[in-house]
Amino acid sequence: MREWIKSLDGLLRGEATKPDALKRGLIEVPAGGMLMLIAVLGAFYGVCMACFAAFNRPVADALMQMVASAAKIPLLFLLTLLVTFPSLYVFNALIGSRLTLRAVWQLLVATLSVMIAVLASLGPVVAFFSFSTTGYSFMLMFNVLMCSVAGILGMKFLLFTLQRLTTVFKEGSEPPKPVVSPPPPVVPASAPVPSAVAPSEAVPASSQTVAAADAATPPPFSPPALPAVPAPKGALEKAEDQVFSGDVMSIFKVWVVVFALVGAQMSWVLRPFIGAPGVPFTWLRERDSNFFEAVWNTFWSLLGA
Amino acid sequence: MHDFFQRADRLLRGTSLSPTWRLSFVYSIVFGLVYGAAMGCYSGLSEERWLQIVYSALKVPLLLLVTFGFALPPFFVLNTLLGVRDDFKAALKAILEMQAGVALILASLAPFTLGLYVSEVKYEFVILFNFSLFALAALSAQIILYRRYRVLIAQRAIHQKLMWAWLACYGFICAQLAWTLRPFVGAPDEPVQFFRENLGGNVYEVLGQMIVRLLT
Repeated sequence: MREWIKSLDGLLRGEATKPDALKRGLIEVPAGGMLMLIAVLGAFYGVCMACFAAFNRPVADALMQMVASAAKIPLLFLLTLLVTFPSLYVFNALIGSRLTLRAVWQLLVATLSVMIAVLASLGPVVAFFSFSTTGYSFMLMFNVLMCSVAGILGMKFLLFTLQRLTTVFKEGSEPPKPVVSPPPPVVPASAPVPSAVAPSEAVPASSQTVAAADAATPPPFSPPALPAVPAPKGALEKAEDQVFSGDVMSIFKVWVVVFALVGAQMSWVLRPFIGAPGVPFTWLRERDSNFFEAVWNTFWSLLGA
Repeated sequence: MHDFFQRADRLLRGTSLSPTWRLSFVYSIVFGLVYGAAMGCYSGLSEERWLQIVYSALKVPLLLLVTFGFALPPFFVLNTLLGVRDDFKAALKAILEMQAGVALILASLAPFTLGLYVSEVKYEFVILFNFSLFALAALSAQIILYRRYRVLIAQRAIHQKLMWAWLACYGFICAQLAWTLRPFVGAPDEPVQFFRENLGGNVYEVLGQMIVRLLT
């Protein structure tokens, strides 16, 4: 548990997404542990959210609502992840990014962890407003707002990390930049790679790169770092100037929007989270209408229209 | 004791040797108590009303500290996420000092409140007056906050945004908490109580409804 929290902390601090840490082309976080943390923190926010029910329902109902919300928030995030992950990976691979399946997965799990961490930090505020507010519409909009804040920050994390991965891949495909020496003669990037493979058998490529970068004097035959992902050479190497072409970035940008839409609608399917006053407890409500219509209506009812 | 006031003086002047963390909290509590007690004197010092003074006194530090507690976690996460976690100690010190400054300024304004109470004014005006003093204290304390934050902003421009984020978050929560903790002054014709029986709901809803009522 401590390790997981440390990893989450590293993610938030940006230590896990420093260029050095991304050398292998993925975020090094314990994905399983992160998922556990997502469950725990999500459950915490769920309980905070359901505090509203505590004032408008009989005790048994309120408790059930808390349990239900605590289970539903992690579920909401995980289901959204599961729904959107395959298509993201497929399009990502199709468009020719170097992210492996595992790298995409790690990236998304890390993004979700960041999102949930932000959300959980807002939990006490939500609990306080739940205790002191009687209006259901206000609480609904307030929770939507809090989730949007968390979502936007999480998505920013995703896009920034992707940008950092871009530079990592770019540096990985070029010779490490020497500190003082003039730029080395243009070497076809693919040429030295075979020669570098032999001595680096024992040492992982990434650590070699670090060593090469650390040494102030550029070694005469500094082996260019291997492409971070052991991908088939040739086809990929040609496109290395545009490892993450605009295409990949735009795929991710579209995905961010899709993720948000799916998440919103998923939350609608999984409702109730807060528990409307005067309505008996149910695990799920009937499936009708959609999230956006409901938020729109709530917004207007809040304004008294 | 001498040190206590000397450091308070330095807090206001922004010279070095600022108060320690603990002392910042102590200032928030002590000076908050002072102003709260003054505020609660409105309905007189008679035997049945003195409890209101105690309640009001307790409520001001409570308001400051609880708001601080609610606003801190998101602020912490946001700082971390934006990559300035290493400066968090300094940022925390800045916001704590600002809070202590609010209490200190409020306490210095307490005589005005007492003076007003002596001159027998209407309850509504008293509420408005106290609100203005809180606003004045909050605005003046920005000087303390900005003095500390200026150094941080010079290092990393993002601190500017974080400072505003803190103020927005703190203000947003503080307004609701203040509404929940009513009565601060205590209407003379109502019984003395710590909380109103009806907690009063959500301040933003109330405000929104007021505005709608005004417009329609």
